[in-house]
Amino acid sequence: MSEFFFYLFAAVLILASLSVVLARNPLYNVLSLVVAIFSLSCLFVLLEAFFVGMILLLVYAGAVLVFFLFVVMCLDLKTIALTTSQQNRYGWLGWIVGLSFVSLFYLGTQSFIKAQTLGVSSIRGTIENIGQILFTDYLLPFELTSLLLLIAIFGIVSLAQGVLSSGKEVDT
Amino acid sequence: MMSLGSYLMVSGIIFSIGLVGVTTSRNVLKVLLSLELLLAASNLSFVAFSKFNGDYAGQLIVFFVILVAAAEVAIGLAIVVLMYRRISTISADDLKEMKW
Repeated sequence: MSEFFFYLFAAVLILASLSVVLARNPLYNVLSLVVAIFSLSCLFVLLEAFFVGMILLLVYAGAVLVFFLFVVMCLDLKTIALTTSQQNRYGWLGWIVGLSFVSLFYLGTQSFIKAQTLGVSSIRGTIENIGQILFTDYLLPFELTSLLLLIAIFGIVSLAQGVLSSGKEVDT
Repeated sequence: MMSLGSYLMVSGIIFSIGLVGVTTSRNVLKVLLSLELLLAASNLSFVAFSKFNGDYAGQLIVFFVILVAAAEVAIGLAIVVLMYRRISTISADDLKEMKW
């Protein structure tokens, strides 16, 4: 049963991420990334990483991609479609790089003996287990991420101030 | 339960798709979306290794990656909106000011 769900969600994940790259309409790009993130979090649940899967759904599908959708709506859709339909001269080079990466990963996982023999462990990524480690061994990185988010807020505010002052034509 | 290799293969395929998106698309929004795919692929391999090695550290790193990605997306989208207001296009080819 778990194999069936693995193949189902892996197929949905790969198809949706192909649609992220290939779809012309930027709205479809963002919405298929939502589908991809959803099936990714289903794979996380299959791996018994419940907390991370839930955070992925809440933060990614809930906040980040809605933010993306908001920006796509804010910009003029015609301009975006125009820039995406232009032919890229070096597009084939990117496809060659992608295909060689797929074959590289295939060879890597085939020759990686541990990947076939390593058995599944009994750990379960529940909130209790994750929180226990997060607030003991990994407390410093956890606090430093709050600093990172603060810096991100500063960056966005300074960018937005530039827009406001250039819009009103006032000198600072 | 599937083997570790199949999870790593799915992660590799997603990573390659994201790499193709980053290298071939000119639309800056699409480049940011493909960057999200790259991060998602690395998250999947982290969680798979965490499950098969019996170590919670992989899942914690995924948690941090999600936080950093949220900050990155916020800054990146602010820059895209700013770029659209300045030069009214979001094609990466039109950013030529630093070309020499």
